[in-house]
This record gives sequence, C-alpha cells and structure tokens, in this order.
Amino acid sequence: MDPKLVEVTQVFDRFKAAYTRNDLQTCSNLLTELKVMLTKFPSLPPLFQQSPNAVQELMIARDIYEHAVVLSVKAEDQDAFERDFFQLKPYYTDICGIIPPSPQEYPILGLNLLRLLVQNRIAEFHTELELLPSSALENSCIKHAVELEQSFMEGAYNRVLSARQSVPHETYVYFMDLLAKTVRDEIAGCSEKAYEYLSIADAKQILMFSSIKELSDYIAEEHPKWKITNGCVFFQEAKDSAPCKEIPSLQLINQTLSYAKELERIV
Amino acid sequence: MDVDTATSAVQVSTKHTFPELEIYCYLLVLIFLIDQKKYEEAKACSSLSIARLKNLNRRTIDVLASRLYFYYSYSYELTNSLAEIRRNLLSLHRMATLRRDELGQETLLNLLLRNYLHYNLYDQAEKLRSKAPRFEAHSNQQFCRYLFYLGKIRTIQLEYTDAKESLLQAARKAPVTARGFRIQCNKWAVIVRLLLGEIPERTVFMQKGMKKALEPYFELTNAVRIGDLELFRSVADKFSDIFNSDRTHNLIVRLRHNVIRTGLRNISIAYSRISLVDVAKKLRMDSPNPVADAESIVAKAIRDGAIDATIDHANGWMVSKETGDVYSTNDPQSAFDSRIAFCLNMHNEAVKALRFPPTSHKKEKESAEKRRERQQQEQELAKHIAEDDDDDF
Repeated sequence: MDPKLVEVTQVFDRFKAAYTRNDLQTCSNLLTELKVMLTKFPSLPPLFQQSPNAVQELMIARDIYEHAVVLSVKAEDQDAFERDFFQLKPYYTDICGIIPPSPQEYPILGLNLLRLLVQNRIAEFHTELELLPSSALENSCIKHAVELEQSFMEGAYNRVLSARQSVPHETYVYFMDLLAKTVRDEIAGCSEKAYEYLSIADAKQILMFSSIKELSDYIAEEHPKWKITNGCVFFQEAKDSAPCKEIPSLQLINQTLSYAKELERIV
Repeated sequence: MDVDTATSAVQVSTKHTFPELEIYCYLLVLIFLIDQKKYEEAKACSSLSIARLKNLNRRTIDVLASRLYFYYSYSYELTNSLAEIRRNLLSLHRMATLRRDELGQETLLNLLLRNYLHYNLYDQAEKLRSKAPRFEAHSNQQFCRYLFYLGKIRTIQLEYTDAKESLLQAARKAPVTARGFRIQCNKWAVIVRLLLGEIPERTVFMQKGMKKALEPYFELTNAVRIGDLELFRSVADKFSDIFNSDRTHNLIVRLRHNVIRTGLRNISIAYSRISLVDVAKKLRMDSPNPVADAESIVAKAIRDGAIDATIDHANGWMVSKETGDVYSTNDPQSAFDSRIAFCLNMHNEAVKALRFPPTSHKKEKESAEKRRERQQQEQELAKHIAEDDDDDF
C-alpha cells in the first residue's frame, strides 16, 4: 500500500476517534492536516489522473469531506459548511462511475438544500434541486427539504414546525432550529397585516412562545410599534391606498413632458 | 469505414485546393452520415473535422466552421455523450473569441449552454452566459436559441418576469418552420406565466400544429385558473410522464402554491365573510390540521397582497374588505402611464430594429453625386443664359 495513503488513513482514524468523542477542537485541527495531505493525491478532482490507488484515494477523500460537512454542522459554522460541501460535490457528480455511491450522499444533499432554505437562497435551492434525478426525490432526506420549501412558500408554517419532529437525520436539527426563527419572523410579519388585534394568549400560541414574558420581550425588541392593551395585542393599522386628495402635479408634468418629447421624435 | 475513405480522399486533395472546399466536404459528409443514422461514424467524422479546423486560421472558413460546430455537437447529442466534448467546445469558444469570429462565438456559446442544460447544470450555464462577451446577434436562429436557453435558466432561478420576456421573444422570432422549437418555447412560456399568476389566453393553445403537444399544459392551466387543488393534482398525475420527459416536473410542483392563491382569491371575491373551516374545505387541503394551515396561508396571502381581507381569530372568520373606489386613487394614472411607456418603448425598439438592404446607402450616395452634377450643369446653363442676356444689351 502506498505510504501516503497509509499516513492519511492513520490520521483519519485519529480524527474519527476524536469525532466520536465529540472533541470538536481536535477534529478541526486534524481536518486541516488531512486536507493538506489530500492535495498530494493526483487522482482527486480536478486532476483525475489514473493511478493504481485511485479508487482507495477517492473513497477516503470523499469520506473525509463527508465528515467535514457534518463536523461543520456540529460546530454550527455555515460558511465552513458551504466550503466543505463544494469540495465534496464533485465526488458525487463527476466520479460516480469509478467508485460506488456513498450512503451519505442523500442526507448530505438534503442538508445542503435545507441550508439554502434557511439562508433564503431560494434560486440556488431550485438550481440544486434540478440536478437531482427524479428517483432521488423519493428519498426521505430530499423529500423532507422539498416539502419544507413548499410549505414555506404556501405559508403553512405549522407544517414547517411539525417537520422538526420528523427529521430524517440528527444533523438536520441545527438547521431546523434556525428555520424556526425565520418562521417566527415570517408569522409576525403576516399577522401584522392580517389581524387587527389578537388576544395575548392567541398571540403567544401563534408566535409559538412558551410564556407571556417571552412574547412581550419579543414584541419590545422586534416590533416596538405593536401595543398591548386590555389583554390584547394591537397591531399598527396599515393606512395605504387611501383616496388621495392632492394631484401629484410635479410628477404629472414630468410625464407629460416626456410624452411630448417622444411624440416629437415619432412625428 | 465509409468515413475513413471519404475523409482521407479529401485530405489528399487539400494539397492543391482551398481549405474552404475541404471543410465544405466535411460538412456534406457529416450531414449525410447523420441523415443515414450512422451516428458513430458521424461522431468520428466530426471529431476529425474539428481537429482539422483547429489548425486552420482563415476568416473565410468562419461561417462554414460554425455550421460544423453545430453538427459536431448534434452528432454527440444523438449518441448521448455530450459531456465528452464540453472541454473541446470551451477551447473552441476561446479560440473564436480570440479571432473575433462572432458567428462562431454565438454558435459555440449556444452549444455550450445546450450542453450544460442537457445535464441540468443551470449554475454553470448561468455563470458562463453572464461572463461570455455579448454583441449584436448575427444569426436570427442562434439568437432565438440563446433567448430560449436564457429563459430556461431564469425560470429555474425564479426570475419569472425576465424569463417570460425571453421565452415569448424566442417564440415570436423563431421561423414558422421550426415547429418543435416553438412548441418548446410555448410550453415553458405557459408555465412561467402561470407561475407569475397570469392565465395564458386560449389562442396560445390553439396555434396551428401545436394543439396536441400543448394539451397537457392546457389542462394544467385550466386547473390553475379554477384554483382546484384536487383537479390540479389529478392533471399532474395524469400527465406526469410527459412533464417528466419535458423536464418541467419540478416547475409544476412549484405551481401548487399558485393554485391555492387563485382559489383563495376566488373565495375572497365571492364571500364577504367566511369561516376558516369552510376555506380549508373549499381549498380541499389534506393535512392533519387544515384550519390552522388555512389561517396561516390566508395570513400570508394577505401580506403578499394577493387578497384584501382581515382575519378574525376569535371567531375563526376571514372578512373581505370592501373594494374601494379605484378611481379616487392614483392607480389608474400610473397604469395609464406604464401602458404609454410600453407603447413608446415598442416604437423605439421597432425603429432600432429597422434594417436596410446592404447597398441602399451607396445608391443614395451616387444619386447625391449625380444631383451635384446636375446642379452644376444647371448653374452653368444659368450662367450662359445670363451671359446671353448681357450680350443682348
């Protein structure tokens, strides 16, 4: 066996030991070391050189990056997640003919979809989704993310929140918690427009707070315009599209002048 | 075998003929092979021709070369091995850019976009498209293709307004004979318009020769127009094979949200007050907690401005607001303004797009010279007359 490969395997074993101990600091140190070592393998992307050890090298590299992605979720570092995911992606898309598909593939792709959803990058979400074959959409991890996006777009926020109970993988919880915060802000924004007032108990339930204290803190912090009187939360009434009494003369003059100018060019 | 003899014969003769002729022969052989469905041979022949092209640097070949690029890519597409030539196409595109071969650039950019989209690589396609140099289009066909690919990319990235514009323009500019292309454009345009909340007119589906191909999309439009989730689901199931092969399945999944919106809008127009239980029933929502879902969906629709209503949580009602007098606001004025702006813009675009036959300005110049001559003659004549007049005295 190639000495370089042996070395990487040894370090990776130490990494995995630290990983099961949940020793994040050691993990990230070892990971940096591993990534530097991986650069010495010629068969990895983007070179793809044919070498006798290509299959083993690719397998271990993919395994390392998969661990790196999960580690970044554990460390709650979204930027690291994005970096590691992009390093991992070619292993899923470009070399599926050389090594067998990884069992981790769909959970990680689903995790990435969820991340895009949390960061509200819907366009990228759909771009990633198009890359998946239709058979992948049946996978529980992918399906979870797709259904979440749908409920989110429709406004069925209850379904988004209840999906937290049915996460297909433990790593999903971190992003689901982030999503819950986004959902709360969305609900607050919708309620403001849809209701004139809500009783405090109802508001607490709709905005998913466990106590009235939390609710009033949230209102004071995020929506100082809301008023609490007589046990009800009053939302500031929107007063747009009221009949206008004034004629916007300056704007009208501008428009008319521009029509005149254009017409002069035509005639 | 065919290929070898054909191409080697051509190569021998190159010593004493023009390379243009050689390339033209390659092109003819290639088209012949594709016509005869000998795709493997066509692939080999096209690869040889491209290798030969790379060694030639003559501006006179550019037009023929752009044709050859197309059939090169086409033969690989027919054998389902487009990914192999991506690197080659990229280097050809780079070469065309360096040589300022604009027709070649145009063709190759489209082929690359097609190549990426074939594998659903929308991200890469968009990155290439936005960075590639743009210039006035030389070929109408290539420009149509470009617009179509652009529309597809924008649809996937949720820029529906821009997508609609490109797709409709592509459908309009395409020649009448390109039926398949126009059908594709129309399919995508219908979906994009539905996603925008518009309902395409019936005439779109009744165009000559497209009626059958557009039928699934017609039924889909109908379901969205009525706002019936059940009907929508059954249409999506019924034609799922077609939608999958058109690769529009994911877009149709996105439409669900629009169906709900339309249904909700119909309800809010028809009823001044309705309980949320009934809303959930009318929308035929299938979820464990339909009323709570209906409430939050209604709330979101209100916030997005799809319906004008309020919710009475204590009683569980949705109360539609009275529609005010629109003519007391500035809305009609701004609508009128945007329409005028559209018309003026259309006129300006039309003026810009006017084309003149290539030699027409020369004629004008000649006539100007002639006029000058004529004027000179007239002046001389006048002088003579004047002199004659002087002599009389």
